[in-house]
Amino acid sequence: MSVDRADGTAAAPQATAAAPAGATEDKSGSLGRNVRRKEDRRLITGHGRYVTDIELPRMRHVAFLRSPYGHARITGVDVTAARDAGYRVFTGQDFSHVVLRAQSALPSYVETDQPVLAHEKVCFSGEPVAAVVAKDRYRAEDGLEFVDIDYEALPATVCAWQEPEVPVHPEAPDNVLLQRTFDAGSVTDAFTAADLIVERELVTNRHAGNPMECRAGVALWDAADGKLTFYNGTQVPHIVRNMIAELMGVPEGKVRVVAPDVGGGFGVKAVLYPEDVALCLMAREMPGIPLKWVEDRAEHLLAAAHARDHRYLIKAGFASDGTLLALEADVTCNVGAYSVYPWTAGIEPLMAGGLLSGPYKLDNYRCTVRGVATNTAPAGPYRGVARPASVFAMEAMFDDAAARLGIDAIEIRRRNVITPEDIPYKMPSRLVDDSGHYGECLDKALDALDYPAFRTEQARRREAGDNPIGIGVALYNELTGLGRAASAGPRMPFRTGHDACTVRINPDGRVTVISGITSQGQGSETMIAQIVSDAIGVGYDDVDVRIGDTDEALWGFGAFSSRQAVIGGGAAHNTAVAVKEKLVKLAAELIEAAEADLRVVDGEVYVVGEPKAQISVAELARVAYLESNRLPDGIDPGLDATTFFDPIRGAFAAGAQAAAVEVDRTTGELRILKYVCVEDAGRAMHPQIVDGQIAGAIAQGLGGALYEHLVYDDAGNLSTGTLLDYLMPTSAEVPDMVIGHVSHPAANPIGVRGVGEGGTLGPNAVLAGALRDALGIDVNTLPISPASVWKELHP
Amino acid sequence: MDISFSVNGEITYLQVEPRRTLADALREDCGLTGTHLGCEHGVCGACTVLVDGEPARACLMFAVQADGTSVTTIEGLEGTDGQLHPLQEAFVAHHGLQCGFCTPGMLMSALHLLDTDPDADRETIRDEMSGNICRCTGYQGIVDAIEAASSAMKQH
Repeated sequence: MSVDRADGTAAAPQATAAAPAGATEDKSGSLGRNVRRKEDRRLITGHGRYVTDIELPRMRHVAFLRSPYGHARITGVDVTAARDAGYRVFTGQDFSHVVLRAQSALPSYVETDQPVLAHEKVCFSGEPVAAVVAKDRYRAEDGLEFVDIDYEALPATVCAWQEPEVPVHPEAPDNVLLQRTFDAGSVTDAFTAADLIVERELVTNRHAGNPMECRAGVALWDAADGKLTFYNGTQVPHIVRNMIAELMGVPEGKVRVVAPDVGGGFGVKAVLYPEDVALCLMAREMPGIPLKWVEDRAEHLLAAAHARDHRYLIKAGFASDGTLLALEADVTCNVGAYSVYPWTAGIEPLMAGGLLSGPYKLDNYRCTVRGVATNTAPAGPYRGVARPASVFAMEAMFDDAAARLGIDAIEIRRRNVITPEDIPYKMPSRLVDDSGHYGECLDKALDALDYPAFRTEQARRREAGDNPIGIGVALYNELTGLGRAASAGPRMPFRTGHDACTVRINPDGRVTVISGITSQGQGSETMIAQIVSDAIGVGYDDVDVRIGDTDEALWGFGAFSSRQAVIGGGAAHNTAVAVKEKLVKLAAELIEAAEADLRVVDGEVYVVGEPKAQISVAELARVAYLESNRLPDGIDPGLDATTFFDPIRGAFAAGAQAAAVEVDRTTGELRILKYVCVEDAGRAMHPQIVDGQIAGAIAQGLGGALYEHLVYDDAGNLSTGTLLDYLMPTSAEVPDMVIGHVSHPAANPIGVRGVGEGGTLGPNAVLAGALRDALGIDVNTLPISPASVWKELHP
Repeated sequence: MDISFSVNGEITYLQVEPRRTLADALREDCGLTGTHLGCEHGVCGACTVLVDGEPARACLMFAVQADGTSVTTIEGLEGTDGQLHPLQEAFVAHHGLQCGFCTPGMLMSALHLLDTDPDADRETIRDEMSGNICRCTGYQGIVDAIEAASSAMKQH
């Protein structure tokens, strides 16, 4: 194991003693072990298959012309020169009949349209207005120079808590696309009874997922069959298929979406973008010619989904013993120019309101959240959706109250946190917490940090006048694997609770799994192979997994909401169990034994009590497909199954992070001395992958807390348009982390809790808390830069 | 323009426009798609290859500048018998990759690092590798892998 584990059991399989019924407990299995990832051989040798790598005969390349204005009316479009120079050009008028309209049934939601290519006006800098097709990417970009668009600038609004001079959408004159109030108990009464009220205005920094592979697509229209093939670096191929089919008026069975290897996603690639739709529409206009679009980083920073541009006006009431009595908040999320498709402008505000109180007990809660349009890039899903900000806001209340009440910052959290005895705990937003293991995570995290030692060192430094250190902590609950009941929140016209999986034992006895889940680096092929090999009783190396192709997999919503291990994994397990039942039934008939007495281990079928295998899976498969003469009566040929799984509810994953941080008084720079995270992944199927998810998520959280900031000027120009201005953390900034675990299996077939996003939730709160602890200063605005700290030190 | 250079030991002749980047020449003209483009402005390091043994950003270098040089890409790291290089083996063993997009550039930078400083400690590794951005791993697995590869390479 590459990551220091707080429990000191490097690479040890997780305990399965408490695993639910149905989970494989065979010691020879692959679950719980760091098996070699199926993906690695091709990725490590330069033979990955990313969309960018696709070369097809007759292929042409596409470049998009993007708006240089944040807000402007389009007054003229002239493509004559480009066409005269031999370019094929598409403009907004060509596709004005197609709009992206993200839908939600929430009463206050104002539906707005996003054009495929802007034609009447542009609403953010970088919005696509035209596309040029040429024989290579160089020439396509040359061709953009020949397209002439006239603009009449409009006043831009870039801040969501400023009155617009000209609204982004006429349907929403105040730019508010959605507003909802969460209300529980009586906040007013509780504030009256409170001994202490803390109140803060907190602003978080716009940043983005920025996967290393930018967006890319290849679209090919087959006119003879009326069929579209779309290779797309997406997290959600089936959703893309569904939406493209609808937008283009093509039967869904005639749209094939393929997501091959995808170079990171983090939510950014869970969106259907106008460029994707444009590419497919253009392909239909140019039948038989594959069209390829590869985005560069400057375009990505301008036009791929942004996130986390929020303001919290937040107020909490406490009793003198530190008990949280009431919480009231007004949360404004800058959702950018368009309601992101298909998730809507509700994605961040609704998540913020639903989970603001986090893992803390609370009866009296009133929170108004709103999504406000501005002339900036659309905000969309980004790993941890809203909660890096909401956890920062919530933890700030505790740090503030602890200081004012003279209670230890750790102690005040212990007094308020949901415990296992409270489970199931209905949060004031009515989400049901099934975990409660926050205190245990916190204990382990503090142990791993060596909390007393840092307190001693802190006191010593104060005495000696050395650079101060501070300790920060954050607790959070990550709602993962949302089934149909839990995914109901945004009231979109679809519920994302289920996935399908197909398992086939092939005639040679090896297994092929076709799963609806996708991978952007999570090791999905590995995970599915582990689950299926253990459930059937064949070797891990004898299972091949195919993902990402809608012509193969029946259904999968894709990668978001830390859902795939729970839902796609559950589907794989249940399907494998169904196939095994067929296998065992066939074996029982052929060897004349009772089904209940049969065990399948490593591809061989044993009768309990007999040391020698009676028949192999390969032989059974041969009978099932090739030797129907040997098939017993009543058993059909084939060894396969396809099933769906929906966990109905979700699985909360508890987490605690803590860090000790040193502040350089001269420069204002923070240095992380130690960073600790303890999470409950339930049963860890592949400990290395689990820790890798957590470490990667924390690194992104640290980037957001300290470096990454997408800044617009007042006219709506992005002033951080390259990676020289938009600073992503490197190996020199991200510290070694200590990652520990508690393992409380969740109530799903394999006992897992999602672990993809939780890591991003802590760093804002942990570092802000540490600064307060070190210097007594409040962090109200993120990111925490050396300059911002220095200013606080030199008021 | 006509150019020739050695790619992973094989002499290659190409006709390229002067503006064509080395990255595009490798990926599209030579079919070596293991070299990836993450930013196309020289920051992320995904396109790192070795030119005459020195790391270079293939996105910032024109193909014509590689005329007469010897270029090593990720495809040249594996042995001809399919044996993984100790660095590749270590990246797999220590989970030094997730999506794999930064990995080829990361490996080429690491190769050069261990070539020039076989005893690099953890801090040196973190400093020297800071020209390659990884968005997935949090770097821990990468640093572990390079450390482990360093020991493995010294033993052989």
